[in-house]
Amino acid sequence: MQNNQDTLLQVQHLCQYFKTGGSEFKAVDDVSFDIRRGEVFGLVGESGCGKTTTGRSIIKLYDITSGNIIFKGIRIGAGTRSYDNRIREAKADYNARIANASGEEKARLQKELNGIIAQQREEIRKARYDQDNCDKEYAEERTALVRAEYQQALQKADSAQKAALQAKYRAALHKAKKTRLVTQIQMIFQDPIASLDPRMTVREIIAEGLRIQGEKDEQVIDEKVYHVLEMVGLVREHAGRYPHEFSGGQRQRIGIARAVVMNPELIIADEPVSALDVSIQAQVINLLNELREKLGLTILFIAHDLSVVKYFSDRIGVMYYGKMVELASSDELFAHPLHPYTVSLLSAIPLPDPAFEKQRRRIRYDPLAAHDYSQDPPTLREVSPGHFVSCNNDEFKRYRSQLGQV
Amino acid sequence: METKLQVRNLTISFRTSNGKVQAVRGIDFDLMKGETLAIVGESGSGKSVTSKAILGILAANALVENGEIIYDGKDLLKISEDDFHRIRGDKIAMIFQDPMSSLNPIVKIGRQLTEAMILKGKVRQKESRISFNSYLKLLRQAMTQAQNDPGKTAGIEEKCKAFDKFEYKHLALEAAYNKAHDAAQEAKSLIGVLVFELEKDAAKDLNYRVSRIGRLARQSVQDYVVSSRADQLETLVKKLSPDMRKGKAAADHYAELRDTLQKLGDILTEALQKDTPDFFTMGYYLTFSGQPLPSGPVKELNAELRAYMDDHFMRDFIGDAEQGIRWSAAQSCEKKEACIRALKAGRKVFEQPTLDKASCEQEQKRLAQAVQESIDPLEFVKDSLAYTFPSALSSEISHYFSAIRKNQKEEQRFARQTARHDRLTARGKNADWSVAPKSLTDLESVRQSILHLIDQLAEHYQVRLNESSRRNYAAETVAAIDHLKECASGVVNKVTKSMAKEKAIKLMEEVGIPEPHKRYNQYPFEFSGGMRQRIVIAIALAANPDILICDEPTTALDVTIQAQILELINKLKEERHLSVIFITHDLGVVANMADRIAVMYAGKIVEYGTAEDVFYHSAHPYTWALLSSMPDLDTNEKLDAIPGTPPNMIYPPQGDAFAPRNKYAMQIDFEQQPPMFKISDTHYAATWLLHPDAPKVQPPRVVTERIARMNAKRESRHAE
Repeated sequence: MQNNQDTLLQVQHLCQYFKTGGSEFKAVDDVSFDIRRGEVFGLVGESGCGKTTTGRSIIKLYDITSGNIIFKGIRIGAGTRSYDNRIREAKADYNARIANASGEEKARLQKELNGIIAQQREEIRKARYDQDNCDKEYAEERTALVRAEYQQALQKADSAQKAALQAKYRAALHKAKKTRLVTQIQMIFQDPIASLDPRMTVREIIAEGLRIQGEKDEQVIDEKVYHVLEMVGLVREHAGRYPHEFSGGQRQRIGIARAVVMNPELIIADEPVSALDVSIQAQVINLLNELREKLGLTILFIAHDLSVVKYFSDRIGVMYYGKMVELASSDELFAHPLHPYTVSLLSAIPLPDPAFEKQRRRIRYDPLAAHDYSQDPPTLREVSPGHFVSCNNDEFKRYRSQLGQV
Repeated sequence: METKLQVRNLTISFRTSNGKVQAVRGIDFDLMKGETLAIVGESGSGKSVTSKAILGILAANALVENGEIIYDGKDLLKISEDDFHRIRGDKIAMIFQDPMSSLNPIVKIGRQLTEAMILKGKVRQKESRISFNSYLKLLRQAMTQAQNDPGKTAGIEEKCKAFDKFEYKHLALEAAYNKAHDAAQEAKSLIGVLVFELEKDAAKDLNYRVSRIGRLARQSVQDYVVSSRADQLETLVKKLSPDMRKGKAAADHYAELRDTLQKLGDILTEALQKDTPDFFTMGYYLTFSGQPLPSGPVKELNAELRAYMDDHFMRDFIGDAEQGIRWSAAQSCEKKEACIRALKAGRKVFEQPTLDKASCEQEQKRLAQAVQESIDPLEFVKDSLAYTFPSALSSEISHYFSAIRKNQKEEQRFARQTARHDRLTARGKNADWSVAPKSLTDLESVRQSILHLIDQLAEHYQVRLNESSRRNYAAETVAAIDHLKECASGVVNKVTKSMAKEKAIKLMEEVGIPEPHKRYNQYPFEFSGGMRQRIVIAIALAANPDILICDEPTTALDVTIQAQILELINKLKEERHLSVIFITHDLGVVANMADRIAVMYAGKIVEYGTAEDVFYHSAHPYTWALLSSMPDLDTNEKLDAIPGTPPNMIYPPQGDAFAPRNKYAMQIDFEQQPPMFKISDTHYAATWLLHPDAPKVQPPRVVTERIARMNAKRESRHAE
């Protein structure tokens, strides 16, 4: 498992299938990307292409079907489908050969098959363990650290200090036991009305996460709540109010405050400005930008408004029907879009320029007409440094030459 | 250009428990035929309230305080709910923001699409009959009057009856032809798609599609469509046997299937390239010559029949009708002159400083009658001023007298509040509220507006009279006959359940829903957001409306779907000559759609002009702020967000409502509301910055830079 220092999140071959009646719906199908520390990674695509599902899978709102999600070098999510498939394929392959073979050959093949199955089963066991216990292990790690720290201090301390220290130690231990790795990933939701509980005050909404994390000191909680409220451009007095007393932009600020108060490293912003007015949109985007600079946040920005994504993101991934079709830095993507779907998507952006708009021609994307994948299925390849496109061999060559000419 | 809708001084408030919220504060605009007017503004600026007022679906606590919405000679704010049933959905349709909440979740899509069609179909048939009969009757009367010759009047009777009769024959023929023609067209396009997919080896759902093509091809066998090669077509259709389209064996037959389909496509293409016959003349020939249609190429046939009809009937009829219309117009001119005299005489009653109720009401009746008589019943473009005059006058008069009437409760309240205010000031405190006046109506202004109403109509009539000598009666006659034809087609076109289904499926295809036959039987929740919005558009278009109001139709959708929906609305607008009111807060969308733009803030229109005016030469600080607060593809620096939030409209600000958020606000902005300043013939803005004494201000750098960038881009495009 490679653990690059500036890679915060790695998503490897993520698959998320949903059961619909008898068949399966592939919401996300073999998507891989990584997010570097401190960058804003934009994920765009039309509705239903799986970008929200990707975000939710990362934060473990779903149990993923296959693939790995690695956060800060620790596997926090793992699926087993790919191992199951490998076992099934191996069985089908070997059984045919075993039926044909005889004697010693047969025994050897059987042994090989058993080896493969055992190996894959081990992988499945590991994946299941990581999926369920990554947080527990992290908490244990933290508890051990706290224990080591205080044990020494406790031994040195005299009896007078000991009682105070003991209480402190107990609180710290309690908190460490409740620590979860996944809380370092936080989410901002699209609809600021639906994502806030109407019967909780703003203080309760923001503090809820802290309480779950084991914070019991009301004073600390209040301080933290006031601090983030001021950080997102609200005032202390707002803490006692209910969500319905706020305008749309202010509600979204509360949603952001709720995410920021947990001191996260990665924020998944799922269409945070889509439901807001233009003037408020600008306020929220400016706020996110400020927070990002101030707190050194990494953001996975999911949106369908390409002008906003272009403005806000460092790198952009374009998704189409559960697959990643293109991934590049935002300037590169907008300057040299290669995949026909990206081209079509870019041609659909409305701009505030009537003369341009009157003659804008949208380019349609028809996967059947655009590609011939009957012989040579596509994979995600690096066409130029940092610029990945889903293509097959012919297209790969064509894209290379296209970039070479430009 | 014809004005479809006029909104004048519309003022709407909402009664709430906290007080009166002023949602719309005196806005004016016109909507022309075939144009898109965009209304832009933040939420709460009153743009949706305006559209709801046009559609007559304001909430129960809404209070229309002032204004007129004139459509087709009627003031929509004053007509009854029954009359509104004829307009809402039928003439003015609306697409709402949230497609899910505008569809019934437990009724299948097909049912929702066809329900209104079937209901309206029945009503329309009846109404077309009535309007055909009444118009023909009026025309006949005018024609007989104009002739003044008892010998000829009988002939006119005869002709009008004939007109009634032969309308039916040709429409039946035309309907059959259209059905076949449409079937051929559809089959051809289906074949095109299927052949393409067969080549790619990716055809799905073969059984259904092939049998549908077969069915459509058979339907297209009809005179003047596929007539000579009908046998060939039949054999080809028979060749599309079940084993070619079912099961795994179908793959073996792909080549053969493709071949057959292509041949079928050729026949249909040839049929579609033929000339369209002139059914109107054909119907006449069949009815009156008593002989079967002569055969021959369609072009010659058309000419021959046209000549036959012109000789026997049309030229005569048009001549007579023109005379009738001329006579009617002359009559109406005389009446108009009389009406102007009556108006001038009646004005005196309202000129007194205090009005007398009895004489006012008497005068109002007299004037209403005079105006009613002066309207020419045969004219098409309805004179909205004349039509609305009686109701407007009576409402103003009743407004005046209801304000005079003493209101016990209000008096008490006034006394109580004054006493409280006095007590406060007596104690040396400064009250932060003021006593509301006893009556909100200014009697003098109501009286003035009555006078204005009368003067306006008199002036308008004078203009009409001066113009009357230049009228083109020949063109008006043709329009009248076209109107009769249209009514007649309304009578014949019956809507049955199966026809409604067919039409619904066609509409679904038109708005871009794949596999409409399957989708027809699904529930709204089985659709994605974009598809749902398409269904809503299809429902709105089912009645073939005049005006389409789109209330943020794409806000809930993503870019590609948004682009598709916008293209769809634009396409339908072109095809059906719709007038569209497009409400949104997204300026990018506006640039794409709008011919003209009205920017609204806090219930007022702050800037009004063509799309070019507003985007390239915007003059109001709020428009600048809107433009600079949204990023485009070249934006890198910090966004210029508008600080703060819109004002609370329970306490509307005294001056310019945007002043507290405005960087360029001057002292006067906080004190007085700016009037509309005229920048050019099409461009108006309400900001004190345009006053000659105001300091010259440049728009923010972001905006000027963007405009410069857009200009540069445009020039480079021109250079290419």
